[in-house]
Amino acid sequence: MKLPTRREALVNTAAALSAAVFTPTSLSRAIASDGPSITHNVEIRKFKFVPDHLLAKPGDTIVWTNLDIAPHTATANDRSWDTGMLKKGQSKSVTVSEIESGGYFCRFHPHMKAELQIEQKDSL
Amino acid sequence: MKIKSSLMAMGLAVSLFHATAFAQSPAELNDLEIAHVAYVADNIDIRYAHLALAISKNPEVREFANTMIRDHEAVNEQALALLKKLNAQPQDNFLSKSLQINAEKLIDEMSKLRGDEFDKRYAANELAYHKAVNDLVENAFIPNIENAEVKALFEAGLQIFKAHEGHATMMVGKLK
Ligand SMILES: [Cu+2]
Repeated sequence: MKLPTRREALVNTAAALSAAVFTPTSLSRAIASDGPSITHNVEIRKFKFVPDHLLAKPGDTIVWTNLDIAPHTATANDRSWDTGMLKKGQSKSVTVSEIESGGYFCRFHPHMKAELQIEQKDSL
Repeated sequence: MKIKSSLMAMGLAVSLFHATAFAQSPAELNDLEIAHVAYVADNIDIRYAHLALAISKNPEVREFANTMIRDHEAVNEQALALLKKLNAQPQDNFLSKSLQINAEKLIDEMSKLRGDEFDKRYAANELAYHKAVNDLVENAFIPNIENAEVKALFEAGLQIFKAHEGHATMMVGKLK
């Protein structure tokens, strides 16, 4: 059984096109939970999240980049986190603190759906 | 060399735009005329969306209308940037004109409706409109566009408008 986790995503305001280096500052606690943190890239192209299923762990960073002309968002189904509007070429990084596993979608195009799976340590 | 028009696209164009008789066919338009039609078609959908925002109280309909404005403006922005780069001016033509005339009539008609009646009419029109424009773009325009960059933009646009068509289908279903 999984304990309910604190629902929290730290949405970086670091904006577009700075796909270079992300240095999450508020992760000290989460990082302890598992190995080195990783950056996952999700592309939004042709009205799809690619990949549409992602496994991450607390401490990781997820970067969404919109390659479409149409603006999109990545938004938790329960609205607990949201990248906000991403125009063509823009990126937003979200730091996985203790996000719960679950689905997300595009607020502008609700048929665009994807899944985020967050690994939790049983012993936490 | 131009490929002759697909009959399907022509038929759709005729039924959608209620043009009495075409001297020309959509497949015979040049790139700059096609660009003009697309720009007009984009702006018509933006006008429908503003009408929906002025009348509808249904949150889903309003969300949809906002998406139409956001997406069609994004496409227009790219189209204008490309035309500027190519140093070209879109050319008015028979199809742009009949689209405009038909849109005026529809806006007139829809602006008299309220509540559910408006929402259903707007949703049905969005579905029919995107369907017709998509068939036109896919079957009459894209095969005939000569400039590669213009063609690529239309292909990207088609993808967006197909997503809208799917979205409109969902909306029509929910409003039943
Ligand atoms: Cu979207």
